Amino acid sequence: MKVEYQYLVARVQRALAEDPRVNVLDIKVMVQGDKIHLTGQVAHEAHKKAATEVASSVVPDTEIRNELTVLNVEAPAQPEAIN
Amino acid sequence: MIRIAAIADVHFSESTDNTLRPYWSRLHECADLFLIGGDLTTHGGADQAAVLARELAFVQVPIVAVLGNHDYHSNQERGVSEALQDAGVTVLEGEGIVYTVKGQTVGVAGTSGFGGGFAGACGSSFGEREMKAFIGHTEQLANSLEAALAGLSTDFRIALLHYSPTKDTVAGERLEIYPFLGSYLLAEAIDRAGADLVVHGHAHHGQEKGITAGGIPVRNVALPVLRRAYAIYNLESAADKIDGPTRHSNALSESPTAGCGMPAEMQ
Repeated sequence: MKVEYQYLVARVQRALAEDPRVNVLDIKVMVQGDKIHLTGQVAHEAHKKAATEVASSVVPDTEIRNELTVLNVEAPAQPEAIN
Repeated sequence: MIRIAAIADVHFSESTDNTLRPYWSRLHECADLFLIGGDLTTHGGADQAAVLARELAFVQVPIVAVLGNHDYHSNQERGVSEALQDAGVTVLEGEGIVYTVKGQTVGVAGTSGFGGGFAGACGSSFGEREMKAFIGHTEQLANSLEAALAGLSTDFRIALLHYSPTKDTVAGERLEIYPFLGSYLLAEAIDRAGADLVVHGHAHHGQEKGITAGGIPVRNVALPVLRRAYAIYNLESAADKIDGPTRHSNALSESPTAGCGMPAEMQ
C-alpha cells in the first residue's frame, strides 16, 4: 500500500470516530484503487448515511463505497443457564 | 431467584428511533432488574440522554446504569447522568445500590472502569505523567469498585461496568486495541471483593461469555454482540435449588419463559 494510503485510512477512520454525525470508532476503511470502502456495522441508518458525508469531507474527490450494515435488533433470548 | 436483564452500548442520539421500545416495555415479564453497561449515548450529549430517558420510561422495573466512554466525550457527563436520574434511573460510579426482590436482596456495584490491558500485556504506572495518569485512573476506579462490592451485604452481588475486566469477552477485537478495551485490575478487584456476576459492554466485536481468574462469570452485553434487545441472567440461591442436586449455589440458571419480553405480534 502506498504511504499516502495508510495516512488516508487513518484520517478517514479518525474523522468517523470524531465527527458528531457518526462517532463510530470501529468502521473499517479500505482503499482499493481509486475508491474508499467503508465496512462494518452501525447502530442507526442515520450513522450510515452520515458516514459517507464525513468520509467525503476528508477526501472530496474520491468515490466512497458505503458497505456499512445497520444492526438489526432481535427479541431477547431465553435466560442463560450455566452449569 | 432474581432475574437480571442487561444491555450496553445502545448509543442513543437525537435521531434514534423507538426500535427497542416494544421489547423494553415488556421487560418486566422476564426480569426484575435492568442493567445498562455504558455507552448510553453517541457522543455524550445531555439531549441524547434525554431521548434514551424517554424510551426507558417504558421499562417497569428498576434500572441501574453506568456511563461509557461515549458518554464522557462532550464533557457533559453530569448532564447525561441527570437526564437519566430524572427518569428514575440509578447511575453508579464507584457506588452500590441494593434492591429487594421477592424477599431476596441483590446489590449492584458500578463503575465505568477504564483501560490498561490484561495480564501479560498491560500498561504500568511508569514514565510520563500522562501514562501514570492513565493507569492511575484505572487503579482508582478498580479500588472504588472493590470497596462498593465489599460494602454490599446482599444475597447476590453484581458488578456493572463499561470496560471489560477480562480478555475472554474482548476476543474477536484486534489485539492492538486490547489495552483500550479493559483492564485486569478490574477483575482483580472483583475477585478480591467477590461477586456472582459481572456485566460490561464496550467491546462490540467481542464475545458474550467469559470468566475472571477467580471464577466469576463475566458477560459482555454490548448490543452489537448480543444483537438482541437485552440478555437475561437468572441468579439462583441455594434456597431456590429444590428441583435438582446438580446446580451450584448462587449459580446462573435457566427457567422456561417462552416468549418472555417479546412484542405480542412476535409471540
